[in-house]
Amino acid sequence: MNKAVISVLGQDRPGIIAAVTSILFKLDCNIENINQTILQSEFSGIFIASFPSDISNDELCARLSKDLSHLKLHVHVKPLEHEEKDHSGSICEPFVITTIGPDRKGLVAGITAVIAKHGVNVTNLKAVFKGGDNPSDNIMIYEVDIPCDTDQNLLRSELRKKASEMGLDISIQHRNIFMSINRI
Amino acid sequence: MLSEKEIISTIEMLRNEHLDVRTVTLGINLFDCVSHDLGLLTDKIHKKITDTAGNLVQVCNRIGEKYGIPVVNKRIAVSPVAVFGAPFSASQLVKVAKTLDNAAKEVEVDFIGGFTALVEKGIANGDRALIEAIPEALAETERVCSSVNVASTRAGINMDAVLIMGKTIKKAAGLTSATDGLACAKLCVFANIPEDIPFMAGAYLGIGEADAVINVGVSGPGVVKKAIDRAIASDPDIDLGHIAELIKHTSYKVTRIGELIGREVAASLGIRFGVVDLSLAPTPNVGDSVGEIFQSLGLLSIGVPGSTAALALLNNAVKAGGAFASSHVGGLSGAFIPVSEDLNISESARAGYLTLEKLEALTSVCSVGLDMIAIPGDTSEDTIAAIIADEMAIGVINKKTTAVRLIPVPGKKAGDNAHFGGLLGQATIIPVNNGSGSNRFIRFGGLIPAPIQSLTN
Repeated sequence: MNKAVISVLGQDRPGIIAAVTSILFKLDCNIENINQTILQSEFSGIFIASFPSDISNDELCARLSKDLSHLKLHVHVKPLEHEEKDHSGSICEPFVITTIGPDRKGLVAGITAVIAKHGVNVTNLKAVFKGGDNPSDNIMIYEVDIPCDTDQNLLRSELRKKASEMGLDISIQHRNIFMSINRI
Repeated sequence: MLSEKEIISTIEMLRNEHLDVRTVTLGINLFDCVSHDLGLLTDKIHKKITDTAGNLVQVCNRIGEKYGIPVVNKRIAVSPVAVFGAPFSASQLVKVAKTLDNAAKEVEVDFIGGFTALVEKGIANGDRALIEAIPEALAETERVCSSVNVASTRAGINMDAVLIMGKTIKKAAGLTSATDGLACAKLCVFANIPEDIPFMAGAYLGIGEADAVINVGVSGPGVVKKAIDRAIASDPDIDLGHIAELIKHTSYKVTRIGELIGREVAASLGIRFGVVDLSLAPTPNVGDSVGEIFQSLGLLSIGVPGSTAALALLNNAVKAGGAFASSHVGGLSGAFIPVSEDLNISESARAGYLTLEKLEALTSVCSVGLDMIAIPGDTSEDTIAAIIADEMAIGVINKKTTAVRLIPVPGKKAGDNAHFGGLLGQATIIPVNNGSGSNRFIRFGGLIPAPIQSLTN
């Protein structure tokens, strides 16, 4: 069995996941993970599936592209590499970085540059910029893993400095605070 | 994965609704410092406090930063000084108070409580000396807080102690006349004092407690008010049952924060975690007020008819939500109505909606009692003692904690302003019925017997 990551991108409409999974089923593929999201009107889905050894990645991609053409979807298939060790190589703690402030170019690039410099991995990111005065309409939420050996004071001060330069209010909080408050 | 709503609502509570951990209070047992030699005693006290609490402020700040929740006050509560300082005279106990004050300053905590006597059934030599020392001890120290338990449901009301406390409060006010009687803001007279209060001025470490313990006081009146406002805005026909449910949910969230922070502070210091005190404690800031909640509930002001029922609803919902959030609940656990510390309540008193008598009625359904109330400087010791006796009776009969923290402001009369500064706030002095008169009832002395409901065995 081979294993691949299949990404599917296109304008959202009912039936996309049904179409993709029915093709995979017909090809005797076994789906291991699916994650999908919709940004504005665009659908994006990632599937990890194993499939019989007599089908190549290119054949799988061609078959999906052909059968999904009526939905105008872009398909990409990438062989799944062997799982690498934890990229940070150390124990991490989960934090949530939230910024609130007016939209301008370069906000995500500015924040992630600082995050990346400190070896912090973004595990989930949601950014909404609708303009206007409502704080929740201009917000970035980064769920990150901060290695325990990171100098947190330095990370915090650099993030605050960068946020202040970009006119953003920033909060950097351990994930447990949100779990404690909101989950039983 | 966290939802966007979970994150945004939490951030909103912190940014705009004054959510914080009001206090992390480290209880320190000082019985192992006991000595017949005053110098030895004070040396040991200083060493034990600075050794145990040396990292408290730093750890609280670090953990507050980690979670993005400020720990506003860091405090210490010690074993009742009247017990381990029993061999000493009043003037010697003032030196003990100064030792506590110096140790508190050294470890940079805001307050240190435990200059305390427990005299609900009788006054021992150490208790008498400590009560005698209170005015000077509070006038000559900055951070020491004092409490005296004069009544309990099991013992009844010690009326001799009640009268002594009337005198003590007058004397303490007199010694701090330049600061509007500030010493009295650090002195609480209790019925049924709990052994694990993290809030001042009543915090002390009970005799049945461990060598060191972390207790946490949460706050959050602003969060409760905003939750009520939002609910009424989205459904103007909401009923009180649903509002109570909403307060319960909010109290749950606030309590969970307190427990999370408290447990982590305790683990970092290698000290046992004690309790979360589920209190709605206001500060003199707009939006951080218990009084404003009454207005959100449709009342013109705290003090008008309907206020006692509203407070009963609020207090019960806070406890219900908090008890679900934490298995270790203690201290006072209820809504506070400290007049000078709450801008809105202070304004209600100034405007005349809130009188001393209505405050007394309110205390029958909430925690604490007559708290931070400025009264005319010429109020007699008899009248102060009589007010204490009334408040103690409410606590004793209803098997609950009540307390009195009155400030007879020297040289000022009803309608004048008193300023205490910082968290202690300011207040308009309110009139007292038969303020300067004598009171024969109080001077009979003796013990008002324990009520029949004390016979629970």
